[in-house]
Amino acid sequence: MVATHVLAVIETSAGELRPASLELITVARELAEDGTVVALVVGHAVGQVAADIATRGVNAVLVADDALLTRYTTDAWAHVIETAVTEQQPRIVLLPGTTAGRDLGPYLAARSGTTSLSDCISLEWDGEDLLARRPVYGGKMVADVRLTPAHRAWAVVRAGAYAAPEATSPPAAMLPLQIDPSRVRQRVRLKDVAEKRGGSVNLEMAERIVTGGRGVGSPEGFALIEQLAAALGAGVGATRAVTDAGWRPHHEQIGQTGRNVKPKLYLAVGVSGAVQHLAGMRGSDTIIAINRDPDAPIFRLAALGIVGDLNEIVPALTRELTKSQDG
Amino acid sequence: MKILVAIKQVPDPTVVAFDEQGTLQPNTGLIVNDYDSYAIEAAVRLKEADPDTTDVVAMSLGPASAKDAIARALAMGADRGVHLLTDGTVPDSLAVARAIRTEADAGEYDLVLVGQESSDGGTGNVGPETAALLDWPLISNVVALELEGHKLTLGREVEDGRHVVEVTLPAVLCVLTGLNEPRYPSLKGIMGARKKPLAVTESATDTRAVSWNPPHPEDRPEIGVVVDAEEIGVDAAAHLIVTLLRERDLLP
Repeated sequence: MVATHVLAVIETSAGELRPASLELITVARELAEDGTVVALVVGHAVGQVAADIATRGVNAVLVADDALLTRYTTDAWAHVIETAVTEQQPRIVLLPGTTAGRDLGPYLAARSGTTSLSDCISLEWDGEDLLARRPVYGGKMVADVRLTPAHRAWAVVRAGAYAAPEATSPPAAMLPLQIDPSRVRQRVRLKDVAEKRGGSVNLEMAERIVTGGRGVGSPEGFALIEQLAAALGAGVGATRAVTDAGWRPHHEQIGQTGRNVKPKLYLAVGVSGAVQHLAGMRGSDTIIAINRDPDAPIFRLAALGIVGDLNEIVPALTRELTKSQDG
Repeated sequence: MKILVAIKQVPDPTVVAFDEQGTLQPNTGLIVNDYDSYAIEAAVRLKEADPDTTDVVAMSLGPASAKDAIARALAMGADRGVHLLTDGTVPDSLAVARAIRTEADAGEYDLVLVGQESSDGGTGNVGPETAALLDWPLISNVVALELEGHKLTLGREVEDGRHVVEVTLPAVLCVLTGLNEPRYPSLKGIMGARKKPLAVTESATDTRAVSWNPPHPEDRPEIGVVVDAEEIGVDAAAHLIVTLLRERDLLP
């Protein structure tokens, strides 16, 4: 495969870049080989984002800038991407592994009669086929999915799977993508956006975080997590299962739709490591995990993993920490 | 109002394990996909709010065992079941979406509910693909739902926080946990489910857009060590953690 034309959809929300979009350029370059990579920046008031993207090794930047696109809605964004695809005729369209990208990949693919390669952690040519590797069973295993693109391939790339490209190239040409707002359907109307509220500790700034998962077992079980966090001077985080169950407040949720953290120390207790959770903490420097299940995906990211009963290990660890500080 | 809930039977993710060839351990329990239980519950609550004019159909595409998943939906309060029986081949997401589209078209539904993704394959493709094929509005990551006439007000959990959106039926919703608390089927529900209609048809073999290889463990190098606290003892395990924290200057 040579000279493939690849379109990478760069997502913004309220003018801000979704970092997962940047990583698409790296994948796009690999797949394009001698071909061209065009970035499509979608949003409103995205001039600065587009100028930055232009320096990241793309051949051109298409800019779809309209008030209708300030935040993601399926109809408007699908219209814009289809307009760009009609104009550009790419062989591959890449979307970021965000909630919007995970809608749009399969939605647009199905509209053109095919399916999307979703949640790709790697994507490469194998002769005429595209081979995507993706996590299955909540990240316990991976599976390879093969697509023989009849005409055009659509793929959603998992956030964090590829490194972002450096902003080092001379700026590529930026071209506006003309959209006719009167042709944009607005069947779903966005009425309100409730931004995430911070808790007492700003988890994004915390150097150490202790996160409790479903394995903690109950709201009362979080007393152990809090004692450990206190001994470490750490913030307390939770998985989505925990905040859904009402054991902890929603602002403590770490993951794809929660907080995105990169502390120096991430101590995961009773956290299996579902892909959505990993998306929010993968960038942590040192990850330590305590879990009963030796196959828990979190162990594969951990510098140190302890298999065992957290109800015994956590109090022992808290004691040891208190002792080492006293001594 | 007619509601179609599309559900999937999956290996119980709390016990799922594989041998070295990537084969699922035999006799792994099968359950209704977790997100799908929230979709069933949402449909049943809409029915309870307007029992006389609401019809809830639970459909599943799968092997013979999938009838148990449908039975659970019926026991929770769905009115009827549709089982598209597969012959052992596993359809890809587009084939599933096409089957849902066919049922939704034929049955004149107003609302299609699916779980955000399955715990096995987990592509999350089925909802968006179904919406595209039906050309109905798509609302994913739904964590709140209110119906007033034909207008739905929905909460979506996304990276920004929570979006509140409105849509007029028909629509396809992909629901997340947290939307509600799925009920346990009552004894009366379980007994009643046996009398509810269940239509079983052999699913037409669909051409597949993609082919899946069997799953295998990720060949990423382990970056650390994993130790068993039962072997070395709890205090030694705690001491190991503190040693690493000291080594990396992570103690407070």
